[in-house]
Amino acid sequence: MNQADVSKLVSKLRIKVPPKHRKLSSPQGPEGRLNKLRKTVTGLIKYERIELNYRRADEARQYAERLISEAISHGDCHKPTMEIADYWLLEKQLVHKLFKVLVPRYENCNTAFTKMYKAPQAYYGRHIDKAVLELRGNPYPTLTNKQSNNRLLLQNVLLDAAKYDYRQAKYAEMAEKLGKTEEVKSGQSNEDRNKPSN
Amino acid sequence: MSLVIRKSTVEILCAAKWIFRRDCRLLSTLPEKTEIVVDEKERIPGRKTRSYNPILENRHVYPEFLPDPNPNWRNSLREKMERADMLKRRSQIDIPEFYVGSILAVTISDPHAQGKTNRFVGICIERKGCGLRAEFTLRNVVDHQGIEVRYELYDPTIQSIQVLRLEKRLDDKLLYLRDALPEYCTFPLDMDPEILPEGTPVPINPVQVKLKPRPWLERWERQELKGVSNIEEHLKEKDRVRRELRKTPWEKYDLMKNYRKTIPAEEQSEIWNEVYNQLQQMRVSRKKMSRKRTVTTPKTQLA
Repeated sequence: MNQADVSKLVSKLRIKVPPKHRKLSSPQGPEGRLNKLRKTVTGLIKYERIELNYRRADEARQYAERLISEAISHGDCHKPTMEIADYWLLEKQLVHKLFKVLVPRYENCNTAFTKMYKAPQAYYGRHIDKAVLELRGNPYPTLTNKQSNNRLLLQNVLLDAAKYDYRQAKYAEMAEKLGKTEEVKSGQSNEDRNKPSN
Repeated sequence: MSLVIRKSTVEILCAAKWIFRRDCRLLSTLPEKTEIVVDEKERIPGRKTRSYNPILENRHVYPEFLPDPNPNWRNSLREKMERADMLKRRSQIDIPEFYVGSILAVTISDPHAQGKTNRFVGICIERKGCGLRAEFTLRNVVDHQGIEVRYELYDPTIQSIQVLRLEKRLDDKLLYLRDALPEYCTFPLDMDPEILPEGTPVPINPVQVKLKPRPWLERWERQELKGVSNIEEHLKEKDRVRRELRKTPWEKYDLMKNYRKTIPAEEQSEIWNEVYNQLQQMRVSRKKMSRKRTVTTPKTQLA
C-alpha cells in the first residue's frame, strides 16, 4: 500500500485511464517512448485530427488530455506548466495555440477534450489496429455518419417522398369513397324524389 | 450597379467599425483577433484562482486518508469503512499533526510486560502506507547504537503520540540519516516539547547532514538529496559518471506517470468533505481540553 503523492494537485481526466502505461518499444527506453509520444501529441495539437496505430493513439490521447487540463488549471503565467508545454510541443508556435485557442475552447467543457475512433484496417498486410484521434470542436466534418435527423439525407428525402405519395393515395381513395357515397345518396334522394311523383 | 454600391457601403462600414475599435478598445464587444491577446492577459489571474479549494490543504496534514493511487487496489467501500475506523481511533487518542523530520515521543503498551508501557523518542524519518495501515518510522541513537522503531499510526496498543518538535526537513524521506554521523539523529529521551505559537506555518529546518565515509546502505548520490552537504567528498570519478548516466530528467514531464501516483483533486475533495467536519471538531475539542489543563496546573503548583 503506497501513500498518494500530495506534492501536486491534478484535475481528473474524463477518459478511462488504464492502471499501467503501455510500453512502446524503443531502443532509448522510457525516454524514447516519451519522444515518440511527443511527436504524436504535437501532431494532434497541430492537425486536430490524425490517423495512427491504436496503441500509440491511446497512449498519446492520455498525454494530450493531461497537457490541456494542466494548461486550463494553471494558465500561461505558471512556470512549470510552461516548461511542460515547451517539452511536449516540439513546434513552439503550438504553445501559443494551446494557451490561446485550446484553453478558451475547453474551459467550460464537461467532457473529454479528445475523441478516438477505431479506424478500418488495411485488408492486405499485417494486422494492426488503427485509430483516428481528434480534438473536440475541430473544424473538419464529423466522422460519424449518424445523421438520422438530417432532413436532406437521401434516405430521409426518399422516405418523405414515399410518405407524401402514400398520403396522396389515401386522400384520393377517401375522396373517391366520399364521392361514391354522395353519388349513391344523391341517387337515392333522386329516386325518393322521383317516387312520389310517380 | 446596385450590388456594387451595396458592397462598397459594407466595406466603408467595416472600415469605420475597425477605426472605432482601434480608438476605444474597451467599448468593443467583438474584439478582433489581434486584440484577443490583450484580453487573455487581463483574464488570466481570475482563471488561476478558480481551481483553488482550501479544503484540499488537508492532504499535507492527513495524507493517510487518501487511498492508494493504484486502481487495482482500489475499493470504494473498503476505503470508506477504513476512514470511519480511522476517525473512531482518532476520537480515542490524539494523533497530532507531524511531518517527516519532526521529533516524536510514542508511548505503547509493552507487549512483553503486562501493564507496563514503553516510551521511545526519535526523529520521524519516513511516513508511508495509507488507510489503517499507515505507519511511520522513528530513529534515535541510544548508547552509540542507532535504533529505529516502526509504528503503525492506528495501532491500538499505542497509548499516546506526542510531538516534541514540529518541523519539516528539506527531503521527503530522511533514510540517509542511517549513514549520517550519529549526532544528527541523537535526541535525549527526556526532551521537552517545544510549543509553536498558534497560526505559524510549520518551519522547515534547513540543516544539512554530513555522511559517514562509504560503504553506504544506498547510493545516496543518485537521489538528488538536498539535506546532505558532503556527498561529493566520498565520490569517485566512476560514481559521478554513473550518476550522470542514471539521471532521468524526462520523468518530471511524464504527465501520466505523475497522474498515476496521485489522487485527482475531484476525488480528494469528496474525501475531505466526508471527513473534514469530524476532524475539525476533534481538533477544536482537543484545543479546549489543553487550555483547561494549562489553567488548572498552576493552581496545583500554588497549593
